Amino acid sequence: MDNSFANKSGFGTWRAGRSDWRLQVLSVFSLSVAFICLAASLLVVTNIESLRDRWSRAGRATVYLKDGAKDPDIAALSAALEHTEGVSRVRRITPDEARREVVQTDEALAALPPEAFPGSLEVAFNDSITDEQLKTIALKLRALPAVETVETYERWTERLSSLLGGGVTASACLALIVLAAVVSVVGSTMRLLLQRRKIEVEVLRLVGATDGFVRRPFVLEGASQGALGAALALAMLGVLFLIVKDHFDQQLANMLGITPSFLPWHLAIGMVALGGVLGAATAFVSLRKLASV
Amino acid sequence: MAGSSQGSFRNQALRAGHRYDPSAASRPILVFEDVYKSYRADQPVLRGMSLVIERGEFVFVTGPSGSGKSTLLRLIHRTEQVDDGRILFLGRDVSRLPDSAIPALRRNIGVVFQDFRLVPSWTVYDNVAIALEVIGLPQRLIRTRVGEALERVGLAGRGSDPARVLSGGEQQRVAIARSLVHEPALILADEPTGNLDPQLAIDILGLFEDIHETGTTVLFATHDRSLLDVRPRRIVILDEGKATDVPPDMGSLDDDDDDLDDDDYSDVDVDVEAA
Repeated sequence: MDNSFANKSGFGTWRAGRSDWRLQVLSVFSLSVAFICLAASLLVVTNIESLRDRWSRAGRATVYLKDGAKDPDIAALSAALEHTEGVSRVRRITPDEARREVVQTDEALAALPPEAFPGSLEVAFNDSITDEQLKTIALKLRALPAVETVETYERWTERLSSLLGGGVTASACLALIVLAAVVSVVGSTMRLLLQRRKIEVEVLRLVGATDGFVRRPFVLEGASQGALGAALALAMLGVLFLIVKDHFDQQLANMLGITPSFLPWHLAIGMVALGGVLGAATAFVSLRKLASV
Repeated sequence: MAGSSQGSFRNQALRAGHRYDPSAASRPILVFEDVYKSYRADQPVLRGMSLVIERGEFVFVTGPSGSGKSTLLRLIHRTEQVDDGRILFLGRDVSRLPDSAIPALRRNIGVVFQDFRLVPSWTVYDNVAIALEVIGLPQRLIRTRVGEALERVGLAGRGSDPARVLSGGEQQRVAIARSLVHEPALILADEPTGNLDPQLAIDILGLFEDIHETGTTVLFATHDRSLLDVRPRRIVILDEGKATDVPPDMGSLDDDDDDLDDDDYSDVDVDVEAA
């Protein structure tokens, strides 16, 4: 700081912000409330995306067997599948095992007739298998006499994609709301700061400060408020995420096949940068509107 | 005067240490030519006022309340704009400067007001240093020059005190330090002793005289006649929108009252240009 850059860049007049820390804290908190909505929606979108990727990439399929399928046919089918390229594991589930698994989850389903629990082969595929290969395998399996139907869970992937699209739209809307909130909060804060620092601005004018020199501390404060608001939002969301993760991590992993993850670092940094840029731009525009500064 | 000359003004003419025109040194520092200024159409403050201030002069500007003393200083500082006429500072017409050149103008002028105009929440050091920070000087140099300025006004070692805890006299000393720290060519003092008791007022006047001794031109607006009697100085009276020099042989404006009023100016009708 011991050079003219410190003054030219506005840090020399940063003292202006010292006495207004309460106002700054309030502003940062208000901005963090806006940013936490955006961050939360981005968190949901991120996890839906990874869930979709997981389900679409690491495919699995359930081959439902006909009631009359004989054990040798089923064993031959199972063996053939195990030797098929892209298949990592084949597990046979008898009607009794299927019934046990379902009733274990919900006892009310115990009254269902035996034909409601067909025998099946649970097939797991390698990560390398493509959608096309999966579709071809399913098509061939459906043609076999022992096979009733094949479920590839493609519909779930489609539903997740649709949900992801909705999430992205919601995030975009929230981003607009956040933009409006930042403009409103930072703009109001700048007007208040300008009122409170009327004498500082007057003194700066008196000693020959340029417009840029007078505005610079305000713009820097707008930028720091925006960036800190976004960072605080991420910190609060991070704490909430950790609390929720500790409670549901295992269940979610079992149920969905993925472990929920926080926002990737580049998205988090991008959000902080967005806050800074929005804050600085709003402060700059707000001050330009005020003719005296 | 327009166009190119304004460009050179912005870049060189008013920067400390730069004299692009050698003949400028021999010109008056400040020239008012037929200056008109009014805030309301029916109440003109200055009506064709003309005045010449030479380099290195100490000039008292006096006159009754509302005579335009503060307006005169504000016009030089470009806080106000003339309606008509010219104000030449260092040979440049202040009234025709573009807005972008006003900061450069103000960096060559020190200003002291009756109400000090300090930032109460800042320290003494900060209040003085700001005049150098706007120029972009390195902090090391700023520290040295602020220390010297505070020493000159008798506030050495008080740099870390918040301005709000200082007495009126001390605050005015800080304001004076701020006005001189960047070594301006001209110092404008607008009733700087108006809020101070008589003894402090004379002390503060002494400070301005010390500054003047170093070659700085000082324009000191006051209506406190006791200050005019302290030492013989050039006195300019503003009355009815015009400036009039008090001839040296008139001595002081003797009167029983300490503050000047309209009657004090009735005998003085010598126009500055005639003088």
